[in-house]
Amino acid sequence: MESKTNKYGVSHAIQRQIDRTSYLFLLPMLIFFLGFVIIPMGMGIFTSFFDYTMSSFRFIGLKNYLDLFSDPKFLRSFWNTFVIVVVSVPSVTIFSLWVASLIYDKNAWVTSTFRGVFYLPVVTGTVPVVVVWKWIFDKYAGILNYVLVSLGVIEKNIAWLGNKDTAIWCILVILFTTSIGQPIVLYISSLANIDNSMLEAAEVDGASNLRTFWQIKWPSILPTTLYVVVITTINSFQCFALIQLLTSGGPVYSTSTIMYYLYDNAFSLYRYGYANAMGVLLAIVIGLFSILQFKSIKSNVEY
Amino acid sequence: MKKFTAIALSLLLVLFASPLFGSGSKEAAPAASDGTVTITWWAFPTFGQDPGKPAGSYEAELVKAFEAANPTIKVKLETIDFTSGPQKLTAAIEGGTAPDVLFDAPGRIIEYGRNGKLVKLDDLFTASYKSDVGNADLLAACSDGASYWMYPISASPFYMGINKEMWEKAGALQYVNLEGDRTWTTDDFIKAMEALGKAGNIGISVYCGGQGGDQGTRALVSNLYGATIANKENTRYTMNSTEGAKALQLLKDLADKEYIDAGLSIAAAEELQLFAQQQISATICWGTSNAKNYATNAFTQVSVPFPSNDGVPSLEYLVNGFCVFDNKDAARAEAAKKFITFISDDAVWGPKNVVQTGAFPVRSSFGDLYPGNPEYNLLASWTKYYGGYYNTMPGFAAMRTEWWNMLQYVFTGEKTVAKALADYDKNANAVFAK
Repeated sequence: MESKTNKYGVSHAIQRQIDRTSYLFLLPMLIFFLGFVIIPMGMGIFTSFFDYTMSSFRFIGLKNYLDLFSDPKFLRSFWNTFVIVVVSVPSVTIFSLWVASLIYDKNAWVTSTFRGVFYLPVVTGTVPVVVVWKWIFDKYAGILNYVLVSLGVIEKNIAWLGNKDTAIWCILVILFTTSIGQPIVLYISSLANIDNSMLEAAEVDGASNLRTFWQIKWPSILPTTLYVVVITTINSFQCFALIQLLTSGGPVYSTSTIMYYLYDNAFSLYRYGYANAMGVLLAIVIGLFSILQFKSIKSNVEY
Repeated sequence: MKKFTAIALSLLLVLFASPLFGSGSKEAAPAASDGTVTITWWAFPTFGQDPGKPAGSYEAELVKAFEAANPTIKVKLETIDFTSGPQKLTAAIEGGTAPDVLFDAPGRIIEYGRNGKLVKLDDLFTASYKSDVGNADLLAACSDGASYWMYPISASPFYMGINKEMWEKAGALQYVNLEGDRTWTTDDFIKAMEALGKAGNIGISVYCGGQGGDQGTRALVSNLYGATIANKENTRYTMNSTEGAKALQLLKDLADKEYIDAGLSIAAAEELQLFAQQQISATICWGTSNAKNYATNAFTQVSVPFPSNDGVPSLEYLVNGFCVFDNKDAARAEAAKKFITFISDDAVWGPKNVVQTGAFPVRSSFGDLYPGNPEYNLLASWTKYYGGYYNTMPGFAAMRTEWWNMLQYVFTGEKTVAKALADYDKNANAVFAK
């Protein structure tokens, strides 16, 4: 005979009522998620197979995707995005870990002060941060030129953002300063949670600082590292506001990223289908990178 | 349970998919039971505001006056800015939530009209109206050649502004003509830039760090040796010419000598700030509106047309006007048309609105709206130098992107002038090859 209760002794009728109530509580979030994430995402993928402009909506199969690989501006943007990811992810991760290692065991006010200082650009918002950096890099009245000329490092003012060799590095510097706040906070918290008895035991056994780090600290902070690496990678791939506000992708596309080129195609040239194809491709690349990072880091994670 | 979940999800999908996919996705026509029609007006900040008043104040006054004269029409005003406004418009148009009325310029408006997003305004362009405007170029700027999409209110030229004291001090003022129409030549321009450069000043900045105000750089390049942006038939972008190459080479040489600046990281807004801060001695993005916004007592700003080889400039100009979006509602379209004619033609508000744009009326019957203002009289007289209007051509948006990037290729030396122009020509004209 079929039991009228589940393994916790709750009757199926009541369980159904509980389930129904739970789903109703989830409904607002589900509505939001469907309306603002799933449906737009689906439409983005769907329209990427169309010649979709302001006046046209014609199925063209994979043409948008194939065109991407013969578009030198897209390839340049792809390369720039790749450079940004490759430079920014390790530098942000290593620097954040270094800073956190230096301050996590200091006085509470020291830790808080440093945490606050590094977190400031995160809470300030992109636009004011970019305005300040734009002034720093300004060719005529920028403080960077003023300092470097005063110190005799350079002879005359440089248009940092107008030079195809320096503009991308300016972007990277700004991205770096706005990206390290959160990882530092996470690492401080993660390092502070390491079991002190293990560190003391290592000290008693005469383990060097380096060995203590690799054998005890590093395995403990690997989950945090995985999170930091994945999030920084995604943020770097999606670098857009800095580019739009500072360089418009120039000079000569030297700072154009996939996100910026996507925006330009969608909102300046009204090539919605082509822009959506870029978005889908970017999502695939980010997904692949994330899987790779999960696989390479997660295999060593000890919980 | 599964059944319940499936039903709930299906309902949600229907709920969400219908406004996003449905052809009737526009906001329900707000025609009230009492016959009142509500229309939405999106306005770029083309109307100036009275001192101390926030953005949209003047527009709100205007709406109030219109509603008083037309009690069956209500106008919902939304002000947008030039930075995020175009993006909002694109999203609204594609999302089926476009406004009824937009106050903008031909570049975007004609593109929308050509793509079937607007209501035709042919019925507003009567014979008497056309005769009152009396300027074929201005009328052409409101049309894509087949229909009228924009109802114009005012127009004003784009020109250069110079810092008189800086030029005087550098011995460059002798090269600019301050008499009559103030026209001057390319040779004088070169001498002036050299004089300014040798005195340690920067003549101008050929800003090309973005699209903003790019008409200034196009006006400069095309005027120097008589190149044209487009042919007379508006069927091809034509900068790739001997004259165009000569002008670009001249600017590149002047930039290499550091007499002028290649503004690779700045657009018009920053160039205007540099001019206001006296970092550069002239601006190539001057106009009535900018002259008002960047007015200063620190130095004397003198308006001059762009220099040209023969001393006869071909000026670009701004045309302000309105369009009506096709929201599939005849009552709203009619109400919108009534609104835009009120703004542009009303005996009291029409002239007042023109003055508020800081430009000149397109209707000759409005007469001189700036009596006793010699600067505005001079600028109004430059109408005779207005060149062809290419902002309504197909592919205009793509050409603009190609333009400032082409300047970057020239100034960075990444490409030769010939190669940069050839690539620009190919990409800008791609639209005509389709």
